[in-house]
Amino acid sequence: MFCTQCGASNLDSAAVCAQCGGNLAAAQLQSVLPPLGSSPVQVPNYLVFAILATVLCCLPAGIPAIVYAAQVNGKLQAGDIAGAQAASRNAKMWCWISLGLGLLFTLVMVVGTIRQIGSR
Amino acid sequence: MSMPGIARKPLIVFGTLAIVAAGTIALDVFDPATSGLFPPCPLRYLTGWYCPGCGSLRALHQLLHGNLSAAWALNPLTVILLPFLAYGIASYALFEIHGKHLPRLFLPAVWIRALCAVIILFGVARNIPFRPFDLLAPGGIVLR
Repeated sequence: MFCTQCGASNLDSAAVCAQCGGNLAAAQLQSVLPPLGSSPVQVPNYLVFAILATVLCCLPAGIPAIVYAAQVNGKLQAGDIAGAQAASRNAKMWCWISLGLGLLFTLVMVVGTIRQIGSR
Repeated sequence: MSMPGIARKPLIVFGTLAIVAAGTIALDVFDPATSGLFPPCPLRYLTGWYCPGCGSLRALHQLLHGNLSAAWALNPLTVILLPFLAYGIASYALFEIHGKHLPRLFLPAVWIRALCAVIILFGVARNIPFRPFDLLAPGGIVLR
């Protein structure tokens, strides 16, 4: 552990800094908290897939996936892990709906093309 | 703790990699602008409007052939987002194979909402049929 006031290296168990006498207990408490902007719990937001779904598959279903991806990170920022996990499940669901609609459309187009060729 | 990665679901990992590889080869060999092998954009087909992704397959084909300016003309948003998407996909693939992500950036919710707004506004703007908005439609901007 390093002292937050003078930067000297100390034993992890030390309560005060050997160098400057500064309070290390407060620093230790701080180091237990997660650093700003990151979360110790990984909750996937599926943002990459949401954007891929929006740009490559089916627009209307990709947008809610992005909105839920934003919700996942917003709730993680607020410390609401359960809420983030719920939003994560929704983001995942909308990614699959988007992919499903995209594949369904592709299938319909392929069948349509084959029938058109067959009727010629 | 169970081993993440290939040991867990080899079929999905290799199946996905095979589909991506086949898709990339098909995109390299056939130009979506002329071949008819690739399905049209559902929104464009059903409504006649461009979606934010319209032109992205043609842009990817151009990128595979090293034509950055042609790709940019077809869909600038896809060209801008592609490096980030590629990084995210690489990170996901690495996790499935090795059980480890690439260093990950936590995007604040505001950024994701802003990105969502940019995608929607880009989709709307490229349908406005006069300058400068029509330059955002596929084939609109030609850099020289």
